[in-house]
Amino acid sequence: MIDWIGDAYLSVKVWLFETLLLPLLYGAGWMHWEEDAFEWLDFALLGAVTVLVAYIICRPLEAALPVERRGADEPSTVGTDVAYTLLNRLGLVPLFAFVALQPLEIAWAALLADAGVIPPTLETAIPALRDWPLLTFALYVVIIDFAEYWRHRFQHRFGWWWALHSVHHAQRQMTFWTDDRNHLIDDLIGGFWFAGVAVLIGVPPGQFPLLLLVMRVAESLSHANVRLDFGSLGGRLVVSPHFHRVHHALDHDEGIGVRAHGCNFAVLLPVWDILFGTARYSGVYPPTGDRSGSERLATGSWWGTQVEGAKRFARVLTGRA
Amino acid sequence: MVQSFPRRSFLGGSAALAALPAGAQAPAVPLSARPLSESRGLVYVLNSRDATVSVLDAVTGAERAKVPTLREPHHLVYTPDRREIVLGDSAGNEFQFLEPATGAVTRRLRISNPYHLLYSPDRTMLAVASLRRDQIDIYDAASFELRHRLAVPDMPSHIAWTPDSRVAFFTLQGNNSLAAVEAATGRLLWKARTGKTPAGIVFDARHGLLVANMGEDNVTVQAPEDGRILRTVRTGAGAHNVFPSPDGLFHYVSNRVANTITALDAPSLAAVRTLRAPGAPDCLDFSADGRQIWFTQRVANRVGVIDIETGALTANIPVGRSPHGILFHALA
Repeated sequence: MIDWIGDAYLSVKVWLFETLLLPLLYGAGWMHWEEDAFEWLDFALLGAVTVLVAYIICRPLEAALPVERRGADEPSTVGTDVAYTLLNRLGLVPLFAFVALQPLEIAWAALLADAGVIPPTLETAIPALRDWPLLTFALYVVIIDFAEYWRHRFQHRFGWWWALHSVHHAQRQMTFWTDDRNHLIDDLIGGFWFAGVAVLIGVPPGQFPLLLLVMRVAESLSHANVRLDFGSLGGRLVVSPHFHRVHHALDHDEGIGVRAHGCNFAVLLPVWDILFGTARYSGVYPPTGDRSGSERLATGSWWGTQVEGAKRFARVLTGRA
Repeated sequence: MVQSFPRRSFLGGSAALAALPAGAQAPAVPLSARPLSESRGLVYVLNSRDATVSVLDAVTGAERAKVPTLREPHHLVYTPDRREIVLGDSAGNEFQFLEPATGAVTRRLRISNPYHLLYSPDRTMLAVASLRRDQIDIYDAASFELRHRLAVPDMPSHIAWTPDSRVAFFTLQGNNSLAAVEAATGRLLWKARTGKTPAGIVFDARHGLLVANMGEDNVTVQAPEDGRILRTVRTGAGAHNVFPSPDGLFHYVSNRVANTITALDAPSLAAVRTLRAPGAPDCLDFSADGRQIWFTQRVANRVGVIDIETGALTANIPVGRSPHGILFHALA
């Protein structure tokens, strides 16, 4: 069965690449992007599978065990999050980040080489890991999740960063589609953040796409509108929809002090919140959103929320916030 | 031979080589019932997206071992004494050395982003093209001490040397040009235009530099002295790399978009034959008897085998994701 799925996936990828993408690149004179385009296609196809799997898992749960139901006279704002998800997971936002950051990445790699710095990997630091690829991958997941925990805390701590991150928190109708709702500038900063981590520990292994898929689905599930936690033990091992809903609670947005000292910042592993005293295991499923933002930030289109987030960002930078 | 490969557990186990017994992996898909090759040998295939090396039995096509690398291996060559194979792991910033007869890892060396690599004919220098940092390096071949580093515009890709080892040539894939570097000083001698997206390059004493232009359907013949284009030879869309045959009679050009391999008559450079090569053909090598072409099918995760005499595709062997560099090692 798995072989059949793998073969079908490969057939689709080869067909798309050979009949559509490769002739397009060739015709446009962009063949120097060919290898990157092939990787991008892989990313986009895996992203499509991820969206499909997340939908198959999350949507029935949201229908069966919803935390909140939309009122009959309340318009849906989920469409904006669907757009965010598709733009991100089908590769358009990552493509934008790649094009924007690649010249810097090349200059940075050259600078490091000139300085005699060769970024390590976990395996070069701990040679025994070469024989344990899955363990190595797991260690990368833990370290990157740790770095993401701190990035998330800083997103709440600094006013300018919160202005961007508030795009994510503005959604009052939080669903599994909300995971990818981020400002483009915030995505770029995330790219820099990851590059910084990569200098210290290298890039993670890329040979476990199925595990990446599982993690991405778990991140989607954490945003789902579903009355679900993972129990007292499970909820301390993996971020649950309940745990993350408490992070998105309305009462965390009132003033920098409250926001900075919010809770449940972890992306995948709650252990960071537990270790750093930011875990909050509440018995309630609070309403979500950000009262400090404009209505357009909460209910606008993809473009509207991007513009509104940029304006808020500019106001903070220029001291007009 | 088979026993020399240690086993690998699900998590990796304690085996340094992460190798598997013969036949344990997906079998070859021969398109006829005959043995794939009359030549005994091992075929090394670098699976760039899987961070592994598939070691194939040339006779049966079975995978004899799968050797892990660090992140992203692309190209491989013999060391000058042919006692080792060295592969460049670009994202892993590492050279990995293998024993050719077994695939055993003999040593590793930290090195910044090695994409393509080629020893000088006099065996004293090693040129490295670093696609991801826009730099080209020349190392001492024995000590791997960096002798020269040169920043170049946009995606240095493949390398050729003059027979006297005086000059190294680098195609600049993103810049539609070719750079000549004096090996002794690291000085840029000249930079010249090529076709669009130049990739593979070889030095042919009869003609000069043959440059495969992946953004076009041709090979440009360029003067080693100043890089001027002497003539253009049409091959097929997406001309990617050029490989001289062992007998010196032909140059074979892989055409990525056309899914073909073109045979050029070496003395005249006339295109004499077009072979079907599906799956976006990339690098290729020849069986020890010179009767087969083994080529990587970059997007199809396979290695194809072509019988040169008949032109037929005789096998299609599953390997890892995005197979790139390939080397046929003959066994006695």
